[in-house]
Amino acid sequence: MYPRSFHYHRAKSLQEAAAMLAQLGDQAKLLAGGQSLIPLMKLRFANPAHLVDLNFIAGTSYIHSEAGVGEGGYSETGVSEGGVLRFGALTRHAEIENSALAATVPILHDCAAGIADVQIRNRGTIGGSLAEADPSGDWACVLSTLSTEVRCLGASSPERVIPLSEFILDAYTSALQPDELVSEVMVKIPVKGSGGAYLAFKRSAPVYPTASAAVQLTMEGDRCTDVAIALGCVGLTAIKAKDAEAALRGQTLNDKALAAAGEAASAAAEPQDDMRGSADYKRALVGALVKRAIAIAARRAHGEQVEVSHIYA
Amino acid sequence: MADEKQNGKRWVGASLPRKEESRLLRGLGKFADDIKLREMLYLRFVRSPYAHARIVSVDTSAAEALPGVACVLTGAEIAAQTQPFIEIGPGPAQNIKDYPLAVTRARYQGEPVAAVVADSAALADDAAELVQVEYEALDPVMDAEDALTDKSILHEGAATNQVWNGVWEFGDVEQAFRDAAYVVNIDRMHFHRFSSTPLENNVVIGQWDPKDEHIYYQCNNSFPSFAVQFLSSHLGVPIDRIRVQTADIGGSFGIKITSYPQMAVCALASKKAGGRPVKWVESRSEHMVSSAHGNERTFRKTRVALDRDGVITAIDSHHIDDCGAYPRYEPLGCVIWSQVFPGVYRFKNARIDFTQAVTNKCPVGPNRGYSRMQHLWFLERVVDICAHQIGIPADEMRLKNYVRPEEFPYLTPNGCIYDSGNYPKMLEVGKKLIGWDDWKAKQAAARAEGRLIGIGIGTTLDSGTNNFGQSQIVNPYAPFSGNSQGANCKLDIYGEVVVAVGSCPQGQGHETTAAQVVADVLGIHPDKITVRTGFDTERNVHTGFSGTYASQFAVSGLSAVHGAAQKLKAEMKRLAGHVLETTEDDLEFGSGEQGPEVRAKSTGKSINYWGLANIVNVNSAVLPEEMYDVTLNCRYVWRAPFKVPDKERKYGQLTLTYASQLHIAVMEVDRETFIPKILDYVAVDDCGTVINPPIVEGQVYGATAHGIGAALMESCVYDEVGNMLTSTFSDYIPITAVNMPKVKYGHVCTPSPHSYSGAKGMGEGGAAPIHTISAALQDALYASGVFIHDSFNNADSIFRVLAKKEGGQLAELVKLEKRAQANGATK
Repeated sequence: MYPRSFHYHRAKSLQEAAAMLAQLGDQAKLLAGGQSLIPLMKLRFANPAHLVDLNFIAGTSYIHSEAGVGEGGYSETGVSEGGVLRFGALTRHAEIENSALAATVPILHDCAAGIADVQIRNRGTIGGSLAEADPSGDWACVLSTLSTEVRCLGASSPERVIPLSEFILDAYTSALQPDELVSEVMVKIPVKGSGGAYLAFKRSAPVYPTASAAVQLTMEGDRCTDVAIALGCVGLTAIKAKDAEAALRGQTLNDKALAAAGEAASAAAEPQDDMRGSADYKRALVGALVKRAIAIAARRAHGEQVEVSHIYA
Repeated sequence: MADEKQNGKRWVGASLPRKEESRLLRGLGKFADDIKLREMLYLRFVRSPYAHARIVSVDTSAAEALPGVACVLTGAEIAAQTQPFIEIGPGPAQNIKDYPLAVTRARYQGEPVAAVVADSAALADDAAELVQVEYEALDPVMDAEDALTDKSILHEGAATNQVWNGVWEFGDVEQAFRDAAYVVNIDRMHFHRFSSTPLENNVVIGQWDPKDEHIYYQCNNSFPSFAVQFLSSHLGVPIDRIRVQTADIGGSFGIKITSYPQMAVCALASKKAGGRPVKWVESRSEHMVSSAHGNERTFRKTRVALDRDGVITAIDSHHIDDCGAYPRYEPLGCVIWSQVFPGVYRFKNARIDFTQAVTNKCPVGPNRGYSRMQHLWFLERVVDICAHQIGIPADEMRLKNYVRPEEFPYLTPNGCIYDSGNYPKMLEVGKKLIGWDDWKAKQAAARAEGRLIGIGIGTTLDSGTNNFGQSQIVNPYAPFSGNSQGANCKLDIYGEVVVAVGSCPQGQGHETTAAQVVADVLGIHPDKITVRTGFDTERNVHTGFSGTYASQFAVSGLSAVHGAAQKLKAEMKRLAGHVLETTEDDLEFGSGEQGPEVRAKSTGKSINYWGLANIVNVNSAVLPEEMYDVTLNCRYVWRAPFKVPDKERKYGQLTLTYASQLHIAVMEVDRETFIPKILDYVAVDDCGTVINPPIVEGQVYGATAHGIGAALMESCVYDEVGNMLTSTFSDYIPITAVNMPKVKYGHVCTPSPHSYSGAKGMGEGGAAPIHTISAALQDALYASGVFIHDSFNNADSIFRVLAKKEGGQLAELVKLEKRAQANGATK
């Protein structure tokens, strides 16, 4: 199938793109990586009258590290503990996958390297993924375990910075105004002694996961002092599993604590039946994934290098 | 004199790289969608969103008014100018009216209702949205057993949803049950619906030439001889005026056999558009909802009789096949399974009551392993569950029941002749490759830790070269029997050896294997032989059975090529004997300083191929009159030596060769995620004499991947109102390299006495992985009270039977009766 005909606009700057959105109204869609939009257009499920292409705007694809305020400068990895990683909105998943800077926060690499397949990672962008707010989007799940803010730029409003927890409102619904777009994603670098992992079960590379679990925790010895757990693909948005976090916080990480966290995660999930699996199965699965992600995150928190791959059917 | 054989060996059997490789790997293949013609139009179907609905009205005016739209076709318009397609089924099935567009009723979601033809594909998509169809929803019938109640009838004319029913009964079934030591009753098993997802979807370019009422197709249909027979009677165009040409094809697996309805629409659209060529390129979603799916089958009330040693003595069962909304190639599947009636097993007594029904789902088509894999899966499930119930290890159970090596050629209860095989040897090779004893020890240790590990065996047959006379078992009036294939071998004017065959390969390497056969006949290098790519009715090579399907090229195709090459060689000998003034016995074939030649051993004089071809083609005044019949352009038709089967008894030789496969899988089900994982995998193959080892091995890997995908990932799912839930690759998950285990390949060779080379047809592979994975999962989960009753098992379905105790519980579905005769077993 071919998309319905549409007008194509190539923006020269993010400001111009925002202005085009304001001018063209709700019949316009932004084209970033296009990995969700183009298939929907080809199936004619999405039929925008105007496409505003962001791909030719210089300086929108980057990964920068910035020292944290009051922190002691850069470590030998080039990353400032307590500092911030800044991703240009059009930074491709593959650039993050292959970035040594991003790899210093292992959960970011887990996420980027596990998105779909090479072709999709070469096109899809971090900003597009968050703005799309797909319930199955990997970035929204992973970044909600880190302190993440989204910088937004509008045609008529001043630039604003929105915490990720307030940016994604519902399935396919973000806090963006009609003439606003994402310009940058800012992720706070976890403190020393913190480790994370992202694990999904996928039926094949290009499809969204059946369920996924993101865990970022801080260890002191074998005790977990702080933890963030998010569940993907089991609700209308990524779900923060607060009871599962509570089951770990301040606890020694043993089988009992892991089981309690897994059970709490299963209870927090709000999955639906679909071809990826029945709701009951997804609930059971996400608990198991959380337990495994905790175990990997804890090893990483202790400084161990652990390679992680999603589980494929 | 150099004979250009490999160190004196024959080319047949050599690991020759494929001649096709260079073209295909460099992107120089020519596929149907690569063809662009002047004035070409593009067709898009308007499809029913309902699984079952009355078509109240079709308004095409807005679409026709769109600039750039050439025409719109409706079902009513087609019905007014054509005959319904041939129905193969007897009785009521003859009253099914199958047109390429729905006329008064849509019978599956995605059924074409109208066709829009425009200057561009995008425009055709736009215009298709403007066709207004008013529907009145009817009750959909989504299950074959429900369909047989006839509460909602799909085809008014037939007045029943039953397409076919027949009973196969051999031996003394009741006596065997009276004598049995054990009787195992299995309430229900189900073989799921899946498809083949070839890389290239269906493509048709059809042109109805108004000046001579001649239709020209360029397409990727994989059984053109069958398609033209259906198209000729449907369109009312003499068969010689329908030209079908194929080039490179990106996979078919049988699914592209039934693209003739779309071919009909393209021709009729071209006719309406004044003869402009009309191209239809199927999208992936269209392919998933409406090309063809594989047959779904339910096995009810199965009874198995066994003696006290665990030898199966009788099977009694009811099989219900679901063929979707229109029979099309069916009900041939109702007899094709009986090519492998007893599978690889020795039991003599059996009664199978076989029924086929229509449902509101996509029509089925012959899908790799067609109709036999469902039956073979059934038999393997029976063997495994009986072994578990009686407590016999899976390998021993098979050795007790396999047809024995000394029994070949083996006559089956229904009159089929298994040409050759050695199943115990395959089991031995498989067990060695996988490290059977090691895995048994590891399994015991893992089970002690609470892990769920299973080891499964699947033994299966790939019957090849059909006797089309079996169609008379489903319909005594069917005008088909036997099998044939045609080939042509010629010396062209400058002495080139050119081969054409009536096959249309889709990746099976026919150009290479045909060249190997001719190379051996003529004693020249395969590179010196040109094999025509694809199929073309106007090459005048084909027969009524020509195409590429049903695991037969190595037998039917290469026998035809061999025959044509021998015919050519005989003519060349006569001619060379005359020119070189010697007897034919004195001649030898090979290559000399001037290329391929024929040489007199006594005098050393020779004539090269150019010299021979020159005399016949452009220098014929020197040709003696007694050689005027020499053309050096030799067509040969190979015929399989079949008789018409006994229709009443359903008895006879239904296929010529029986390749066999034995797979072993070690699997683990994760106790927390329920994900089934293959820990180790072996595929042992026996297709008799191997023409080209890498080509055979490649097809074994392909069939293995296809089967693993079908067993664990690929399922066509409909909801209760007939919405297809797996219409994209987000929901239907074809297997990729990411999901494949490392496959250990083993080979056994029992040459066939039924083919000239000892080769057996192969490629379909009997869906061994489906049987094997079911067996391994059954072994892993038997102790947990689970019966693997379905051929599709993914993490979710295993979760539901294992954790939620749904559906497949052993105690409910399988009952063992142990009789007094069971005491004193000798095992």
